[in-house]
Amino acid sequence: MSWRDAIVFAARGVRRRIGRAVLTVAAIALASALLSSLLIAGGVARSRVLDDVSKGGPLAGIRVDAAQPVVGELQDGSGEDIHGAPKTIDNAAIANISKLAEVKSVLSVMVQPVLVIPPQPAVVATAPAKVKRPVAVSKPLPYQDGLVGADLTKASELPVTPIAGRLPQPDSMTEVAVTDGYLRELGLHDNQAKLVVGTELEYGSAREIRSLGAQSARGRWVRAEIVGVVAQDVDSHESVLAPIAAVRAARAWTINGDNPAELGTPQSPYAALFVVADSLDAVPRVRQRITTAGYANSAPETLIANVQRYVHVVEIVLGGIGLIGLIIAALGISNAMLAAVRERRREIGVMKAIGARDRDVRRVFLLEASFLGALGGAVGTFLGWGIARTLAAVVNNFLQSQGLAGVGVNLPLRVFAIGVFGAAALALVAGTIPAVRAARLPARQAMGDR
Amino acid sequence: MGLAGSTGTVACVVVARASRGTGTGATADAVAVSARALTHRYVTGDGPLTVLDSVDLDVSAGEFVAITGASGAGKTTLLSLIGGLDAVQRGTIRVGHDDLSGLSRDALARYRRATVGFVFQDYGLLDMLTAYENIELALAVAGERRGARRRRAEELLDAVGLRSRRGHRPAALSGGERQRVAIARALANRPRLVLADEPTGNLDDTATHRVLDLLRTLPVQHACTVVTVTHNTVVAGAADRELRLAGGRLVSP
Repeated sequence: MSWRDAIVFAARGVRRRIGRAVLTVAAIALASALLSSLLIAGGVARSRVLDDVSKGGPLAGIRVDAAQPVVGELQDGSGEDIHGAPKTIDNAAIANISKLAEVKSVLSVMVQPVLVIPPQPAVVATAPAKVKRPVAVSKPLPYQDGLVGADLTKASELPVTPIAGRLPQPDSMTEVAVTDGYLRELGLHDNQAKLVVGTELEYGSAREIRSLGAQSARGRWVRAEIVGVVAQDVDSHESVLAPIAAVRAARAWTINGDNPAELGTPQSPYAALFVVADSLDAVPRVRQRITTAGYANSAPETLIANVQRYVHVVEIVLGGIGLIGLIIAALGISNAMLAAVRERRREIGVMKAIGARDRDVRRVFLLEASFLGALGGAVGTFLGWGIARTLAAVVNNFLQSQGLAGVGVNLPLRVFAIGVFGAAALALVAGTIPAVRAARLPARQAMGDR
Repeated sequence: MGLAGSTGTVACVVVARASRGTGTGATADAVAVSARALTHRYVTGDGPLTVLDSVDLDVSAGEFVAITGASGAGKTTLLSLIGGLDAVQRGTIRVGHDDLSGLSRDALARYRRATVGFVFQDYGLLDMLTAYENIELALAVAGERRGARRRRAEELLDAVGLRSRRGHRPAALSGGERQRVAIARALANRPRLVLADEPTGNLDDTATHRVLDLLRTLPVQHACTVVTVTHNTVVAGAADRELRLAGGRLVSP
């Protein structure tokens, strides 16, 4: 009997006992749903924790500061900054660091001191009615801040995570994103981030002008729309993020004036770099090379590695729990198929009487078992995905109430493969004993019980 | 009857040879069956039960033989042994050139597939399959290609007069129709030996005669030897020869 005929025959066998098949598939599906939802939840927890540790940037990210390293003080991987004397990061430095071994990419960050004027009137005027928390009622005052610029075409390599709205368009001169620092300036809570999206702010960079012995300053003002709020600071003390071209223009206005240093403009064209290493393992080596090149740098690689280990243990435990469920369901398959073999003794005998070999009968039963397993696995995996998405919605509500970025749930191919093929394989194992028993039934069963 | 039977047998084989020439690939003819000192025991709760006791049997190629006897006389066991459904415990059985003694399970399966066609009292049709599919299953087990399967199954449905019922499942067929489907299935792989176990046991008189007519034509039209177990005197009387089993031994009818 060919494989194709065996598959057709097995499918008919399943269809004939549709009630039992449905119950068996349901048992496998529930167990598979448990397994996949736990694996998905574990994966989400892993990425969420690692995102938190890496501040949304790549795990193999290294921050390079415009400062010299402290001799003998190469960071221990905890992410704590240790800065030496200021040092310029210019295009030549970027080129040098880009050429270092195991460096995947280098992203420059620019910071320009500006005066930020929050929207007038206060945000409270645009607050939607459903927001019950108290919002700012007094007029927020202008404040000094740093305007951070980065190449937003490579936003995925930056340690920023939007919690409301989106990031500015990379080439826009009139769009900005703000951080929770900006919300605090407005007297808003983190969970009110959405209130500022769509509002406008003004930022101004100053230029000092000396003429005829008099000293005066002129400002370059930009009115920008706040298109999003990000969870983490790209620079720990700044609250406004803009495309790098906008920051470069603001900086050009200041440094083309007289005595720009007096206005707090840093001498280094770039305030920091984000270097991405080829892998997490390569981070310590790349950091050493950057230190040798003369730049202070920091990365939480040790913390990330530790977290990865702990999260992996959690994933193993969760997977183990799901696997136990799947094994229990597989025992259900075994039981159902043993019952089927008992019921189909005559049919098996007839098949043998017309010439089926032991392996033909065994193949039919194994195909039935693996079909039920694979179907249950597929249904269960999607069910588990749905459960994980539902849970994620609840978790996201909580995270947003805390002003934190939500979690995204997708169905990794690995989980789908484990759900479907794992269930099919387990069902195959579970179906082995019934299949062997069916195959060993004597052909005289065709004669009935006489 | 013996002489008439012999003459009839020769005629059957000659006709059968001619008819095989128009088949779809079969080249073999009806086979002779020979059993010597055939003994078979079952282990029961009350100890071993001898069902067949030194049975010697000869069936000529193309012969239609009926085996009769009381219930428990060993008729079905004898049929099972000849058909390779059970392994020979003691004695020998030769079917054509095949010696069934000591054959492996796979070899027995090959023998059943290539040489034997079974007809059961309760039809043995798979209830999830249609009449057509039941016949096709035997061809699928033998590894026939789809096109050849379709042609052969339809040819056999025509032969048993059930073409119009090809899409019906056994539950939708009468007893006689089911048995005709079972006969068609038994003939699917052009067997050289057809073994029928009480083929009319569940049928009324009309259906019995129709099935019997079919069985009688098998040696001639399908070039096979037919051995049937029966309680039915009409069937036994229609056979070329009747063999009676009593107490595990063949006795004169």
